[in-house]
Amino acid sequence: RALQRGVPGAPCARHFSFPPTVTSEQIEHLHRRFKQLSRDQLTIRKENFDSIPDLEFNPIRGKIVHAFFDKRNLRQESDGLADEINFEDFLTIMSYFRPIEMNMDEEQLDRFRKEKLKFLFHMYDSDHDGKITLQEYRNVVEELLSGNPHLEKESARSIADGAMMEAASICVGQMGPDQVYEGITFEDFLKMWQGIDIETKMHVRFLNMETIAHCY
Amino acid sequence: MFLLLPFDSLVVNLLGISITVLFTLLLVFIIVPAIFGVSFGIRKVYMKTLLKIFQWATLRIERGAKEKNHPLYKPYVNGIIAKEPTSLEEEIKEIRRSGSGKALDTPEFELSDIFYFCRKGIETIMDDEVTKRFSAEELESWNLLSRTNYNFQYISLRLTVLWGLGVLIRYCFLLPLRIVLAFTGISLLVAGTTVVGYLPNGRCKEFLSKHVHLMCYRICVRALTAIITYHDRENRPRNGGICVANHTSPIDVIILASDGYYAMVGQIHGGLMGVIQRAMVKACPHVWFERSEVKDRHLVAKRLTEHVQDKSKLPILIFPEGTCINNTSVMMFKKGSFEIGATVYPVAIKYDPQFGDAFWNSSKYGMVTYLLRMMTSWAIVCSVWYLPPMTRQPEEDAVQFANRVKSAIARQGGLVDLLWDGGLKREKVKDTFKEEQQKLYSKMIVGNHEDRSRS
Repeated sequence: RALQRGVPGAPCARHFSFPPTVTSEQIEHLHRRFKQLSRDQLTIRKENFDSIPDLEFNPIRGKIVHAFFDKRNLRQESDGLADEINFEDFLTIMSYFRPIEMNMDEEQLDRFRKEKLKFLFHMYDSDHDGKITLQEYRNVVEELLSGNPHLEKESARSIADGAMMEAASICVGQMGPDQVYEGITFEDFLKMWQGIDIETKMHVRFLNMETIAHCY
Repeated sequence: MFLLLPFDSLVVNLLGISITVLFTLLLVFIIVPAIFGVSFGIRKVYMKTLLKIFQWATLRIERGAKEKNHPLYKPYVNGIIAKEPTSLEEEIKEIRRSGSGKALDTPEFELSDIFYFCRKGIETIMDDEVTKRFSAEELESWNLLSRTNYNFQYISLRLTVLWGLGVLIRYCFLLPLRIVLAFTGISLLVAGTTVVGYLPNGRCKEFLSKHVHLMCYRICVRALTAIITYHDRENRPRNGGICVANHTSPIDVIILASDGYYAMVGQIHGGLMGVIQRAMVKACPHVWFERSEVKDRHLVAKRLTEHVQDKSKLPILIFPEGTCINNTSVMMFKKGSFEIGATVYPVAIKYDPQFGDAFWNSSKYGMVTYLLRMMTSWAIVCSVWYLPPMTRQPEEDAVQFANRVKSAIARQGGLVDLLWDGGLKREKVKDTFKEEQQKLYSKMIVGNHEDRSRS
């Protein structure tokens, strides 16, 4: 029914590598949301995210917004940041949060999980060099703790340092006194998330589940 | 005067005949199939017809609204995505526990802590509170129940007539029919189980008991016009196991019990419920607790364990959420049933809200009001999936096992896997909560850190 109507400006669902479980109705919902954020323009810039009041309270809003413009997340060949994104890019970012499907096999599940973890990895790795260095780690911790005005920078820093050392010991084991830990690579990052079934938690679900297909 | 008398008796005769015909039809088309567990497929045809009518009605409303330039309200004013009002602490604890096993009281920042804020941020970007009130374009399909539609204004004569007809059919035809069926079902259950209870224990008693139970539940299913699709029936629970399902309404029991023979667990109530419970337990060993015993967790666990270990006894049916949830999500499972050590057979139940909202909000409606609402809806359409059995692994504790089962159920039913306690459904999450989140998080990490450096 929704497809017959057609929404001007919304690309057809077939262009995306979306699984069939994302319905055209859900894409329409997202398109409406996109139009609202972009104020009826075809692209969104960083400033457009300022119009979301609830996002104010999120300590890592900078990183989240940044993630939308990160070319690595947008699956583009080049590196760096895009200035503006269109609806297709918006959907690409949203696809990192799609829920798990019932008929996925081991390999697909693994790929699915890696994609989501890569998204989180890119949030930490702000200089795009493929490693989370101590400075970047400190950066994230400081932002997360920025809600507390009484916290001194020193404390945040020492917490970050402690966590980084912990991470190093998980990834590399015992280090010699001269060894310098370069940074957490993506493989190490994966190791640290072992046992956490992120694929069942890192998703946003649409409320009206289409059960009609199942019910008869 | 003369003319009235024969007319009167004519009317009486007609009435008598029509009632007889009605009852015969009832018997043949509803009760007899229920006894034997077959179906004529009438309900499915009914459902398809209804869907066509709903679609037509929705198109009429949309067309009418466009012509008159009315704004349409989206019926799901709670938003397009399922937001999880989980507490920050709960969720971080949960992730940490499944990861490195560090609790929140050991300090330090964990790599996975970023996840909570990231997801919250994306949720806000996708959908926030401000935007949901109006939708200019589309309406969800309207099911001709004015209780679910805020847009019902006088749009067209045809639509109003249809709606009025719907009300007439539902209240004057379907409702009495359903009440009669329900009454029949319940009285047959009580009578049947009492009679079977007098038989000596043995194969005959079990056989009869099973069929009496099944028959009566099937009649009740027809009393609600429930159209149920069962999937994967080869995974149905066996003796000595525990059947675990998500809970949306008291009807869940009827839905599951009409397809399988279970031992129920619950508290003895007074009144009609109590009569039914006492009768049922005569025919087969259900596990009923007195109110005082319910509080004693060890006693409960002991009785359940005894029941499961006896392989001749039926599988137990338990709803571990502890309360009715609105069927868009699955909340925290209470761990009691998972500590017993029996095989768990998870079952996912998902209702289709188009035909009638089956969720029982016990703080809003009492049981009788709820049943009346159910009986005046068009139908109750749902799907039941029997998932493969699960057992507790040696390195898991009861809580982890419970969460594993919960995830499996949520995944199958397309429900959101939530972490919080269903008891919170009566309170609304406050707005200041959001601002406190960051402060709370930093207090959690820093406070602990300071304690640690002090000690």
